[in-house]
This record gives sequence, C-alpha cells and structure tokens, in this order.
Amino acid sequence: MNSHTRDLIPPGLTYLADNIITRQNILGASAEAGSRWAKDLELPKSADTIFFAGCGYQYSSQLESLMSLVRTMDKSVIGTELPMRLAGLFRKLGVDPAGIYHRLFSRSRDADTRPLRDAVTVLRRLGLEFGYLAEAEPCCGASLYFTGLRQEFSRNARQTYETLKSFGVKRIIGIVPSCTYALRDLFPQCIDGYDLEVRHFTEVVAEHSSSMELKFPRDVRVAYHDPCQLGRFLGIIDEPRKVLKAIKGITLMDTRWTSGQWATCCGGGGGFEAVFPALSQVLSVNRARELAETGAEIVVTQCPGCIMQLETGLKEAGFDGIEVLDLAQIVAMSLEG
Amino acid sequence: MSEFKAYKKKIMAAANDDRIHTALSRAIKSYRANTDKALKKFPHTVKMAEEVRQIKEKAIPQMEALAKQAAEVIEEHNGKAYIARTAEEALTIITDLVGSDRLIVKGKSMTGEEIHVREHLEKLGNEVYETDLGEFIIQKLGSPPMHILSPAIHVPHEEVARLFSQVMGKDFPPDTEITTLVAAAREFLRDKYFRADIGMSGANVVSADTGTLFMIENEGNVRLATGAPPVHIALVGMEKLVPTLGDAFKVAEVTWRYANYDIPSYVSLVSGPSKTGDIEKVTTYGAHGPRDFHVIFMDAGRTELARHPVLRQALYCLRCGGCLYECPVFAMTAGHFGDSYFASVGAVWAAMVTGDREKAAAIAYTCLTCGRCKVRCPMQIDGPEMITELRKFLAEGE
Repeated sequence: MNSHTRDLIPPGLTYLADNIITRQNILGASAEAGSRWAKDLELPKSADTIFFAGCGYQYSSQLESLMSLVRTMDKSVIGTELPMRLAGLFRKLGVDPAGIYHRLFSRSRDADTRPLRDAVTVLRRLGLEFGYLAEAEPCCGASLYFTGLRQEFSRNARQTYETLKSFGVKRIIGIVPSCTYALRDLFPQCIDGYDLEVRHFTEVVAEHSSSMELKFPRDVRVAYHDPCQLGRFLGIIDEPRKVLKAIKGITLMDTRWTSGQWATCCGGGGGFEAVFPALSQVLSVNRARELAETGAEIVVTQCPGCIMQLETGLKEAGFDGIEVLDLAQIVAMSLEG
Repeated sequence: MSEFKAYKKKIMAAANDDRIHTALSRAIKSYRANTDKALKKFPHTVKMAEEVRQIKEKAIPQMEALAKQAAEVIEEHNGKAYIARTAEEALTIITDLVGSDRLIVKGKSMTGEEIHVREHLEKLGNEVYETDLGEFIIQKLGSPPMHILSPAIHVPHEEVARLFSQVMGKDFPPDTEITTLVAAAREFLRDKYFRADIGMSGANVVSADTGTLFMIENEGNVRLATGAPPVHIALVGMEKLVPTLGDAFKVAEVTWRYANYDIPSYVSLVSGPSKTGDIEKVTTYGAHGPRDFHVIFMDAGRTELARHPVLRQALYCLRCGGCLYECPVFAMTAGHFGDSYFASVGAVWAAMVTGDREKAAAIAYTCLTCGRCKVRCPMQIDGPEMITELRKFLAEGE
C-alpha cells in the first residue's frame, strides 16, 4: 500500500492497524504478556474446540492506560495525532509504548483479565472440553476491516485461519464481540471453504442456563448494555437476558428506547475512541446516564471496549457507586453463590 | 490531514455546544414518541416500507430511463423538462431560466442545497427567500442546515427572537411566544409569494408514467411558492423517480410516516402548468397557477453511484431523517457530522456525488458503525456496511 492512500485514514487507526500487522495484537504489546492470565489454568493448546480470548481483554489494562493518555492529549494543545505518531515511532524502534504507559498508569491487571478466567470457569462447569492457544493465538484483525484496510484484513484472515487449522481447531468459542463477529461473519467472505464453527460464550451459556443453579451473592438491580457487535451484528440479544433472568437475586432493568437492537453505542465503536477520544468520552457519559437512570446498581455488558467506556462514563457522570461487570463475571459469581 | 483537523475542531465545538444537545435531546424524544404513535395508528406502514424498498431496488438501476420517460410526459403536457448530467449543467439551466434581478420564493430542497442553488441565484443578482420556516431562519443566520427535515433544529426560540428583531426591524424580546414568531414569519413572507417572479421547489418522489411531482409538507409554504408565482422551477435528483403513480403514493406515505407524521397537512401533486379551457374550450395556460412549469432531473454522479454494489443503497434513502435521531454522534454534533447530507448517506454523497474525498473520509471516520440507524431505516439501509465499504474505497482507492 502506498502512503498516499493512507493519507485519508486518521493516524490513530493506522497505529492500531500497524500493530496488528506487525505484532498480531492491537497494541503492539508482547504476546507473552497477553496470555499470562491463563498460565495456571492448564488449558491444552491443541483441541477441537478452543476458547478465543482476543486482544480486548488480554491487553485491556494497556489499552485503558493508552486511551487515558490519548484523551488527555486530545484535550490539550498537542492534539492526538502527534502521540499516535510518536507511538508508531516507538514501535518501529522496538520500544513497547503500551508497556510504558501501563507502568505509568498501572492498575491491577487481574481485574482486566478476570472475565477471561471467569469464562473459563463457567465453561468448565458446563462440562465442556476446550483449549486455548495462548501466545500462539492470532489476531482476528477486525480493526483492519473497520479501518477500511480490506486487503490487509483478508491477508490477515487467511493467515489466522491457517494458524487455527494448524492447531487442529474445528470449533471456536469467542468472548470479544468484534473477534466473534469477524471469525463468524467476516472470515467466510474472504476464505474459500471456511469451515470453523463459531459461537459466542453467551450462546453456549444460555443453552444450559435452565439446567444450572445460579444465585448471585446478594439481591441487585442490573442493567444490561448490549455491545453493538454482539446485539445488532451477531443478533445475540435474548441470550444474555435469558442468562441474567435465570440468576436468583438479579432484577433486570431494561431501558425503554435504548436496549436490545435499539441499544445506544458506548461511544467506542469502530475505532472511534482512537480518532475522537474526547468526543468518545462524551458519548460514554451519555450512555452511562441512560443506564444509571434505570436505577441499576450493576451494569452488565460483555465487551472489553464497552467496559472501559462505561467505567469512564459512569465515573465522569458521577455514578461512582455503579459497578461495571462482564456477564462472565456475573455468572461465575453466581456459581459460587 | 489539515482538512480533517479543521473538521475535527468543528465537530468538537459542536459537541461542546449545549444548545445543540438541548435541542436535539428534545427532538429525539418527540421523534421517537411520534413515530411510535404514527406506526401504531397505521401498522401497514412497516410492510409497505418493505414494498418501497423493492420499488427503489427496481427503480434505481433504470433511473435514467425513468427520467427520460417522465420528461416526455411533462413535455406532452406543456411543461418543460431537462436532464442535467452534472451540477454545473443544472446550474446553467437554472441561470438561463432565471437570469437576474428576479424575486424568487423557494421551498426547502436537499438537492438544491447539494448544488448551492440559493447562493448561486443570489450571486446572479436575484432576491431569494427561503419560505420553509427552519430554512428561512438558517438563511437569515447564514448557517448551513443541521438536519434534512428540520434545518434549524439547533436554534432555540430565544435566538430566533433575536434574529427576527434584526431581520424585520421590529423588537421581539427573548421570551416572545413561539406562535408570535411563526406569525411574524408568515406576515413577513406573505407578499413575497405574490410579488415573486419565480417559485422554486424540489420533490419527494416523482412518478415516471405521469410525470407527477409529489411534495410533502406541513407549513403550506410549498403550496404557495409553487402555486402563486407565474413560473415554477423544480430541481429533482434522479434517485427520486419511480415507475408508476401507484409506486409514488407508497413512497410518499412511507416517507412521511418515518419522518414522524401520521398524516402531513399537505401533499401537492403537480404534473404540469396551470391551464383552463373554460372559455370556448380553448386551452389557455397560466390560469391561477404558474404558466411555466420546468423540471430539471439531475444526475450529478447518481447513475455512477447506482452501479456500485454496496454504496448504491444510499440512493434508496427517502430523506425521512429517522436515522439521524438514532445516531449518538448526530445527537451531539447535529449537521456538522455531514456535508449537504448527513451521517452515512452524507459520507457516500460526499465521496460519490460531490466527489470530495477528504470530506468523505472525515465523515466516514466519524461514524461509530454502531448500526442503530439501520434498525430505524424504513429502507433497511446498512449504515455500517456502507461506511466500512467507503473506508475501503478511500483507503485502497477502489
């Protein structure tokens, strides 16, 4: 691709795209760091069915640090484009900018990868056998698709497919909505004879939810935020509600105009937060208010991007008391109850 | 990237403008409630929308032939019809018809906005009055329209009062009642309709078999502007053509229903100049309405866009404006998220019709690709699909 055509793409997105192409993850961080969450879980690498963890949760602490830095810059005179370019330069020099930001704005990484560990616990409780490719897990490249780099996306998709096949993968259980969407609906568009069966974690859990004893440790009002790609793109709208309703102690508070297929985006869709960080934050506050108005004490969603956005939005809007949890966490907590 | 930077600055200024959010959040609430009510009252609309999608799918690939067919019928009935290949051609035709030093009353037209017809006529030395209240307000403010149906959606009534005080040379305090402001505009524009040399309009849909223009409105300004002056000039984008009169009625009904009206006050159907045969059966033109009726069917990139397998969806757009009320970005930025047209359709228009790739890129990358617009759209236009396709088109140059 020549530089001329890339001129029309905002720099924030080319930064993410370059990371996928060269490092196989959206932040350009090391793969070892990404897979550390599963070290003690003893998941086999070779299996018919695998759990596909995706970049979002595995690198979310880095992503959050990077975004908070970018937002600060976006509001300042420097503008976002410069740091994004600097970050690209760091990467070229072999420096790991996300790692640096991570140390700068360090927070517990356990909290960020907790949904992944919990999803594994839940799936195991259902009696399912599955593996995890760990540091060999390829990037689905969905960001390339949404950036408009279709050729790069197709190339990456074919490479990813080959990697998955080389580990003997036949079925995938996805957890990040955009990875699941890419693997289920976008890959078949660029791979002839695509034969992987892709399902989302929530579909699998919903199938078994009636046979499970689920009880949340306390009585709570919960609002469910539909991630755009899970709800509108993948059509998984009833399943998470079925799961939540099966949990004793949980009262589901749905918003009237803004849930299910009408759910409002958290403000982070399609790489938006990398191009318009400040506006993205404003949109996250708007969505946070809609959810808070339901009277919910916990906001449940299942997308690392949405979680990050909603946490920011709720804090900015002054709803510090409302917790944001992944559906996998909620189900795992209800198993113990 | 400099144009993108300037655009981003504009977007952020809008996002920080509380007037926009206040006006939009009220508008969104009432749009959703009104549309919900209108669709419950006329539940057949949803099925009819599916039918209209099929009508558009059939009409768009043959719009050139439909334009020729409509032009022939209009000419047979003593109207004049023109096919304009480009925006420049359309402006030349209008220049030749209008000339200068004329008084023109205008109905709101997105196609007119697309080729900046008002500015063009003013530059030629004509006096042009926008007659749609919202359009009148933004004309006097010197601001671009912020919504396809409610161009002044971002202007609160206190500001309208201030503006009218300047324009009409009469004092309107900030707390002037809205009814008083509406009456003032009526009073101000009243004699312009009857003094005007020319009335201009667009059309919501046109049937090719009868050459009939459908104009949907509530204020009554389009009736006056296209009925009182001796000349009526209509500028119509070719995507507005459908094969039959029956098709056109369906398109019209679906359009107004999703534009949040159960029933609009006026739908004007115009197929030719005004005429009478009441004296000795001698057909004479210009009885009470216009003597001259001109229709310009404009291509300006539309037939090329119709050949694109994904982006052609933009041509199915009925301009009901429903998608805009569902867009989280539009709720904060109004029409700044767009050019002449807004959001995803606006991005496609900028790239393929007006041909400004930098502007198209700026709009395309402002989209969240969240897809709520598609849920609302009566034509099921897939916003995210068009936007990702357009980003590919812009990034890979194909």
